[in-house]
Parts: sequence; C-alpha cells; structure tokens
Amino acid sequence: MSVAKPLPHDAAPLHVTGQARYIDDIPVPANTLHLAFGLSERAHAKVTVLDLGPVRAAPGVVAVIGPDDLSPMPDCSPSIHDEPLLAMGEVHYAGHPMFIVVAESHLAARRAARLAMVTYEDLPALITIEQALAANSHFEGGPVTWQIGDAAAAIAGAPRVLKGSIEIGGQEHFYLEGQAALVLPQEGGDMVVHSSTQHPTEIQHKVSEALGLPMNAVRVEVRRMGGGFGGKESQGNHLAVACAVAARATGRPCKMRYDRDDDMMITGKRHAFRIDYHVGHDDRGRILGVEFLQLAQCGWSADLSLPVCDRAMLHADNAYLIENMRIESHRLRTNTQSATAYRGFGGPQGMLGIERVLDHVAFAVGREPLEVRRANFYGEAGGQPPDPRDISAQKKQQVTPYRMPVEDFILHGLTARLEESSAYLARKAEVARWNAANDVLKKGIALTPVKFGISFTLTWLNQAGALVHVYQDGSVHLNHGGTEMGQGLFQKVAQVAASGFGIGVERVKITATDTGKVPNTSATAASSGSDLNGMAVKAACDTLRGRLAEFLAERHQVSPAEVLFEGGRVAVGGAEYGFDEVIAMAYQARISLSATGFYATPKITWDRVKGQGRPFFYFAYGAAVSEVVIDRLTGENRILRCDILHDAGASLNPAIDMGQIEGGYVQGAGWLTTEELVWDDRGRLRTHAPSTYKIPACSDRPRVFNVALWEGANREETVYRSKAVGEPPFMLGISALMALSDAVAACGDGTVYPDLQAPATPERILAAVKRVRGD
Amino acid sequence: MSHDLTLTINGTRQQIALDDPRVTLLDLLRERLHLTGTKKGCDRGQCGACTVLIDGRRQNACLALALSHDGAEITTIEGLAEGDTLHPVQAAFVAEDGMQCGYCTPGQVMSAVGLIAEGRAGTDPERIREGMSGNLCRCAAYSGITRAVLAAAEEMTTTKGERKTA
Amino acid sequence: MSAWHRPASLTEAIGLLAEGGVVAAGCTDLFPATRRQALSGPVIDLTRVAEMRGISETRGGWRFGAAVRWSEVLSAALPPAFDGLKAAAREVGSVQIQNAGTLGGNLCNASPAADGVPGLLTLEAEVELAGPAGMRRLPLAAFLAGARRTALAPGEVLVAIHVPSHAAAGRGAFLKLGARRYLVISIAMVAARLVVKGGRIDRAAVAVGACGPVASRLPALEAALAGIAPEDAAAAVSEALVAPALAPIGDVRGDAEYRGVVAVELVRRALRGLAAEGMR
Repeated sequence: MSVAKPLPHDAAPLHVTGQARYIDDIPVPANTLHLAFGLSERAHAKVTVLDLGPVRAAPGVVAVIGPDDLSPMPDCSPSIHDEPLLAMGEVHYAGHPMFIVVAESHLAARRAARLAMVTYEDLPALITIEQALAANSHFEGGPVTWQIGDAAAAIAGAPRVLKGSIEIGGQEHFYLEGQAALVLPQEGGDMVVHSSTQHPTEIQHKVSEALGLPMNAVRVEVRRMGGGFGGKESQGNHLAVACAVAARATGRPCKMRYDRDDDMMITGKRHAFRIDYHVGHDDRGRILGVEFLQLAQCGWSADLSLPVCDRAMLHADNAYLIENMRIESHRLRTNTQSATAYRGFGGPQGMLGIERVLDHVAFAVGREPLEVRRANFYGEAGGQPPDPRDISAQKKQQVTPYRMPVEDFILHGLTARLEESSAYLARKAEVARWNAANDVLKKGIALTPVKFGISFTLTWLNQAGALVHVYQDGSVHLNHGGTEMGQGLFQKVAQVAASGFGIGVERVKITATDTGKVPNTSATAASSGSDLNGMAVKAACDTLRGRLAEFLAERHQVSPAEVLFEGGRVAVGGAEYGFDEVIAMAYQARISLSATGFYATPKITWDRVKGQGRPFFYFAYGAAVSEVVIDRLTGENRILRCDILHDAGASLNPAIDMGQIEGGYVQGAGWLTTEELVWDDRGRLRTHAPSTYKIPACSDRPRVFNVALWEGANREETVYRSKAVGEPPFMLGISALMALSDAVAACGDGTVYPDLQAPATPERILAAVKRVRGD
Repeated sequence: MSHDLTLTINGTRQQIALDDPRVTLLDLLRERLHLTGTKKGCDRGQCGACTVLIDGRRQNACLALALSHDGAEITTIEGLAEGDTLHPVQAAFVAEDGMQCGYCTPGQVMSAVGLIAEGRAGTDPERIREGMSGNLCRCAAYSGITRAVLAAAEEMTTTKGERKTA
Repeated sequence: MSAWHRPASLTEAIGLLAEGGVVAAGCTDLFPATRRQALSGPVIDLTRVAEMRGISETRGGWRFGAAVRWSEVLSAALPPAFDGLKAAAREVGSVQIQNAGTLGGNLCNASPAADGVPGLLTLEAEVELAGPAGMRRLPLAAFLAGARRTALAPGEVLVAIHVPSHAAAGRGAFLKLGARRYLVISIAMVAARLVVKGGRIDRAAVAVGACGPVASRLPALEAALAGIAPEDAAAAVSEALVAPALAPIGDVRGDAEYRGVVAVELVRRALRGLAAEGMR
C-alpha cells in the first residue's frame, strides 16, 4: 500500500532541475502590468497631503490608484472588515500601504512608489505592549478571561508561591518566496487569480467582494508556495485585491510581488507576547494554582489575532493537569504590522508560558526539572476510554482548563522512552561534571514536552472537499482543497488516493489547488491539511471504488466486498484484471468515473465566549531533549545535540514527517534564539532585511540530531490513523531555550533564577549570566 | 545606447543586447532569457536562492551586474542535467529529499556543485555545513541537504577515482 | 540611458572618473537591484583594471590589488602574519560573497563592521590612491575617515593595499562575534598580530572593529604587551587598556555596553589563541 511509504516530495525532480514554477515563474502575457505599494513612513499619523503627481509622471507608470480612486474601498481583512486595501486619511503603521503604482515593469513601479509627496501630522503611536496596555488599547473591548477552579484561593493556600514574567519576541516568517499574485482578466469581467496563498477561497472571496462580483466569477489557482508557515493565510489578500482592482481598471493582466524589504515592512508576523505568572506550588513542585496574564502585541488590525490569542490560552496548560487556573488574555492594538498566523498560531507562546513556570518552579524547589514536569503531567491514557455510564469514572475524568477531557495522553510513556534513548540522566551528570571543570563554557540540558490540540478552533472550518477523476486509461487526476507549501501534503494525499485504488502513486496526477474544482475550502492551516483533505480524498476514492466493486461484483456474481484492489490489480471471483482494464470496462459500461468527497471533523464543539468545550478532535504529542553550550563571557551559544521523539500517529509518510519535525524544531529554536525583531521608538521596523534578521543557517543545525517517530496509531479515526504534524514539532524548540536557562543557571550558585527572556540572543544570555552571578 | 555582451549560458554562447547597463545577472536570466529556475529570495546576497556558477565559481546572481561578466561562462540550474540524466548533486537531493518547499533548492544545488568543485570540504559534514551556510532554507531541511551534499561528494570522488584508474 | 565603462588600465579609469560616475567592483555592497536609484549615473567597473589585480610580494612587502577578491586572499600563499586577514576572508558573508567581493570594496565602503579592516590595521597597511593629481599613499587608519567615509578625493580611486615587510612578521589572528555562525555582520571583531623574540613579545598589534565608527588599533594595550611572555598576554588585557580606543554604537545587532564587554573578551581570546599557536 502506498500509504506509510517514505516517498520523497512529489515535485522533487522539478525542484532540482529548476522546472517547478512559483507565481513569479509563470510565463505572463506581454502586456502584463506590475504593481507596487507606496508605503507610510510613519507609525501613526494623519495624512494631510498625498500628492501623487510625481508618481504619475515617473517613467513607465501606467496608472496610480490612491485612496480617493476606490469607492467603496475594498477590504482585505480575514476577520472583522477592519483592513481597507489602502490607508484612508490615517496611517496606522510604518509600512502601511497608501497607494498603488501600476507600471510597465516591477522596477518602474517600485521606483515610482517612492516619489509621492506626503505630508503627515503625527499622532501618538503605540509601539510596545506596555504602551498599548497603558493606553487601554484593546481589541474586543477588553481582556478575555477563562478559568477553572479557583486559582487565587489555591495560590493563597499553597505552601509556596512564586511570580515571574517572560517576554517572548515575535517572528518573521521569512518564507523564501515572497508574497506574490497574478491576476488575468477574462471575458465578461471574470478574473483568474494565481496567488501564493494558503487560502485560495479567501482570495476568491476578497477579490469577488472587491470587484462586486459573485464568487463564481473569480477562479483562484495555487500550485505551490515557496514556504508559508501561516504567513500566507491572510497576508496575500492585499496583493490579489490590488491586482484585481488594477486589472479591472486597465483591462490588462496585473502582477505584484513584494521585494524582501517590502515584504518584511508590510506583512504581519508572529505575535510578540509578555506573559506574567503567579504560581502556587508545593515543596515537590506540584502546581496547585496558576494565574496567567497573557499580553499579546496584535498590531494595527484584528487580522487573525483573536483566534491566535484563543489558542495561546488553550495551550496555557500544555501537558500539565492544573485544576486551578485563570488566564487573562489582552489582545493589544499597536501601531505595528498586524500580527498574523504563524506555525503554532499562538500555541507556542501559551505553551512557553507554562514551560517557563515549570522551569522556574523546578529551580525554586531544587528538583530535577523532568521529575517536576512528570509530577504535573496529565494521567496516561488507558487502553479504553472511560465508560460513559460509569458516573464515578466521569467524575474522575481529567480535563483541561477549558474542560476538554484528555483521553489520549501518552507523554509518560513517550518521555520515558526519550529519556532512555537520549541518555538524558547520564548526560545531565556529564553536563554537571563539565560545568564544574570549565569556567567559561557552560553547558545546559533540558527535556520539554509538547501537547498540541488539533482542529481549527472556529469549528465550521473543519471541513474539506475533494474531486477525483479516473480517466479511461486508468490514470487518476486528484484535486482537493489543501495547498502545498513544502509540507508534503500533495504527496501524502496522493498516497491516500493511490491506496484507495490499490495502485502506485505514480498513476496519480497531483494538480494545482483550484477553487473551480473544489469550492469553499478552509485555509491550509492549523496542521489540518492532511487530516481534512486526506479524509475527503479517501471519501471520493471510496465512492469510486464502491462503484467499480459493485459493477465487477454484479458481473461475477459475488458481493462487492469480495472485490479486492491491490498492487495495481483487481481480484474478483477468481478472476484478476489490471486496474486500467477495469476502468476501460467500467467506462464502456457507462459507470461514472468521477466523484467528489467531503469530510467534516466529528466530535468537536466549542463555546469560545465561555472558553469551554471540546475544540480539538485530538492532541498530538512529542518531546525533545536539547543540549547547549554558552560562552559565559560573550553570551555566544550553540545547540550541541537534540533528541526528539514525536507522535505522528500511524505516519502517512515517515520521510516527510521527519522533515517536518526537524524543520519545526529548528524554526522553533530560531524563534527563541537568533531571530530578533527590533522596532525603533518611532515604530519603524529596523530588522527588515536578512542582514539584520537572522534565521538559522545550515551551520546552526545541532551537530547531533536524532529524530524518531513514536510508534502508535491515533486513537481517533483520522485518515489511516495518522496525526497532524505541521505545527506541533515547532514547540519542541522550547527545549533549546530551557537548556540555555539551565546553562545560565550553572554560572551562578543556584540561588538566583536566570529569568532568561526570549529570544535568548548573546546579549540577553550575557545579561542573565550577570544576574545569576550577582555582577 | 545599447550595451552588448556575450555570455556562454549552459554551454550556449549568446549575444545579448541590454538597453540598461544596470541589469543584474539574475534579472537577465529570469526576465529576459526566461530561465526562471534561478530564484529571487532577497535580492541582496543574503539568502543564496540565486546562486549560479560564474566561470565555475558560485556567486549570487542578484549581486552580479550582467555587463561585468561579459565573456563569462554561466551555469544555471537548467544547465546541470544532461538530457534526462540528473547531475549527481541533483540526484542526491532527490534521493535524500533535501527540500521541503523547494524554493531554495536550485540555489542549494548550485552551491553544492560549487562547493564540491572547490574541493575544500571533502566529506566532512561540519565543513559542508559551513560551506553551505550561504544558502538559507527556511523549512530547515538542512539534514537532508547535508546528506545530499555528502552523498554527491562521495559519489563524485569515487567516480573520478574510477575514471582515473580505468 | 546611462553609460557603462570597463576600463582596462588605471589611466583610462582615472580619465573616466574625472567625468563622474559610480564605481563598481564585486558589487556585494552595491545591491544593484534594490538600490538601483543609487546607480543612476555612469557605472565604472574596475574589475579589469590591470593595476588593481593580483597579490604579489614586492621589494617593500606585499601588494594586494584593490580588486582582489576575498577568495583570492584565502587561497594565496601568505606568511603567518596574514593568518588574521585570511580568517577574516573566510568569514566575509558566504562563499558566494567571497567569490565576488573585493578587498578594495570592503575598505571603500567603510562600514564600521568591515571584516577586512582590523586585520589590515594590524598589518600596518597603507593604501595607494590614484587620481587626477597623481598617486599618493596613506596609512589605512588615515584613509578611513569615519562610518561610510573615506579620504578619497573626488575623482580618486583606491588602487592597491600595501603591507610593509616589517609588518608581515609574526603571526596574526582574527575573531568575530555575530548572532549566527556564518553569514553574519559582526557585533564585534578583533584582529591581533604578535611578533615574538626570545620568548617575549617584541611587537604587538591589536585592532577592534564594529565597536565604533571605524575599527581602531589599541596603542595602550600594545605598549603594555611589549616585553611580556605571549602566554601572559591575555591576562594583561584589561578594560582600561581597551575601552579608550572604542566608541561602541548601539544598533539592532547589539547595544553599546554589550559590545564593549565582548570586545575585551575577544581581545583576550585572540591573544590566548596566538600564544597557543606559537607554542606548538
């Protein structure tokens, strides 16, 4: 069976020969026009004069579209209609698009975009979390609070109490392919849109809304993205809408791509957070109650901040059963880029909050952090779910702070296995010996777990469709609603289709995602791509296979269940046919060889106002051990070794899943170490180029990197019992920060907690070293 | 005023007339010669997606002014394979799945070809990681990339050896 | 439409420069596509100027053509005094950058974080300039007038870098601290060169970069090192001997205080490394 094989990415031969096409590689008609945005230089200001005369007069410029040229102004928000395509009289961040230049070439457009004469009247700008909090600048009118038990009472009654705070930086997606869109006008005013987007239906929706057209007049196609990571869930809307507006105005094809610095200046990033915690615990480190204050820098518009901040709250427990918890979440409006989806979608920040608490508590009680973590873990899942008729079992059922039963917990077994395979304790002792013998280079080691909830928290998004054709020659044409951004979705889903027919994956043609083939798709996000689309494809294949089986069963006078599809052959009542023979016969017998498939995730219910329900179908688990070394005198640091054991259920493709796990860890560790976003006090992003914003390079990968898959099927009925794998491994990177904290602690006498902030740049590490040494 | 230059691109000598002397090699390849395999990642020499070989040495095409390289031999990702036979580095990237989204892949492959030709990294993974550090991969497929470069380096050294003894 | 020139000789280059234009060589700091407006005038490509090419040993020492690329520095057979310069060459950007970027470009661009400068300062480098008024030579320290500023007069061009024989003695070292292992712009960097005679430091040259508008030598420290054993050199480094020569700037790569602290430590390490090398 094709499923579970470690096949490489389907497009690998195209990538290594340079034939794989991204938006900017698609051949365009000769009359194509190129767009660029003119950007605000101020973080918050009234625009008193916007003179576009010099822009219009620049060489190569065909049209300039300003705020007064669009009525009504198209909206680009994915949520609450608060993002006009262009700033209307007031700019809300430095980088805010103010006008569109339409020119004969990309360079002409870019050059002209800098020529506007703008007069600003500055308004007070809120750049930091603290400024926004002081100004009471909130989305949703104020904080959102969810709780379970009585945290304040539990803390008051606890033998020991501690307080702390961690600043968590944002993160630039730095997809290697920048945002891009190409719009081709069709007859009758229809539009075909090529977009580098994780959400084709949203692009279709936004473009049709902007043009006042029904959605059936706009078709969106996405073959692949050069990386997405959440940054192409909503941030492509502006380019597609701008191109559509310009294409209608000029009647010519329009294309727009952001250069790297524009991309970094204009688009949203991961939310920066500050998390304050107040914890009551016992002498063994058992946590009795926690109060979290989660402060999120959301930027100037809502975008996806509300569900992002919800997910941060939903991961404030991570792997720990805490019966008294209160989470107060502030979604702060600031005059910075509108923070958006980024791999983990708030989960990493929420999870880092509780992992920081565990690290701090373990330090305070002077116990081995892994033991303290274990003492707080949820209980391990048994073989059977609890009997719903047994009231006592229900009463004892462990639930998350949002009251979802935790029925699939495997971290006791998983961390035990990882502890052994990584020789955690022996290496911990070795690290201690090293630290005793070395004054300058100090090592640290940490094991952290991940429990990540799988499903969109907006319940209705948990649906997917597929369309499968089988042609007369037995070749299969596959469409589904998911998009490919390197995560290997297309290959996985093709493997599902091939398995459905018992044929090799080479018979399955993977095609571009197309809103004309599968409508009303959800974003490829929340790690849900293969869960949702795999199931939809399986449903379509099951339908087709059912038709074929019925047809053959009738011919051979057996039951359809006795028709077997395997190894490219079909066996029925003692006879055997090639798959293509069967298809030819079915065609002649006038059997429909095309089917749609549909899937809606079962079991989930969620009341976000109360913060209660079952938002997730299941949890994905994993754990990592990171070992690091720091230079006590310069703050320089390296990850020396990383061991990971991760739960991908019954993996659809182990090779692709291992790639996701390694890549997720490295990206997560990058977020918490080298990747630092800096805005100056006037709100201008200073790190808007790869020379100043540092993502991990090849040489930053840990020298020893052992990754293994946990062997165990998903207990929920997912596609072939696999689990989602896109986001959960990202949070394994938290182990790197905790290992750095351990190394810093080793520089002191054990009385002062390192209080390491993120990202742990050399400078912050050096500051923490000084703190623990009392320098 | 038109500026003429001659480039041998993937083995084919081409006379090119530029109306603007400031065209980068990358824009020349992508926009005028339609060789779009070479990618534009950052346009400032910091990501390596546009790596090509100029007279056998790897460089960032986004920083190279086309006219500066009049007379040079340029090899791009489109010029590596011989017909349907992949270059050993290309084959190794497929076999080791040294990619995820694929956008940085042409640059990675070209950089690896350059690295192996430089002959300094040999088959030491640490030297290979250092030598490949000019090519960023945001998906962080670095394990596969390093394995692929190692495998290709080993294969190319063995093949060379065999040829010598043959 | 603007002009493009690629002179083959210095005389030709100076003639063209007299009419104005932008000088180009390796183009790694020019960002031709993203800063195309800066290239609006005629472009004068100096990479073919014969006088600006090659590394050679002369009667007075060593001569580096201004258009010598970093990868040429790396592969050249040079005495151990140049080990610091070579180490810097290996850390300039990436191999792709080293194959394009030139030594002269690094100096003329005059970035406070220019990798080549500290090493060349410890090598007592002089620059050879040519212009309408003829040739002149300047110590490198006098050439670097400030952040992104040089002593180049209008119409003048950097032809070569000279390292005198007396400075090509001893052994050099270079250390750079950045946020990532490779492909970084420095937060701080240090070059050192020691000449040891009879178990004692005969001459010491130490320079720090990225900790002020221009890299600079540390004369007080150098004086303190003279006459002591190389293995005692690191211990002789104190903040008081290093700090006066620095004017660290705070920017997105690190704040001023951090740079100062780190610079002192890097100096110690460079000296410790040299002492260890010497004892081998």
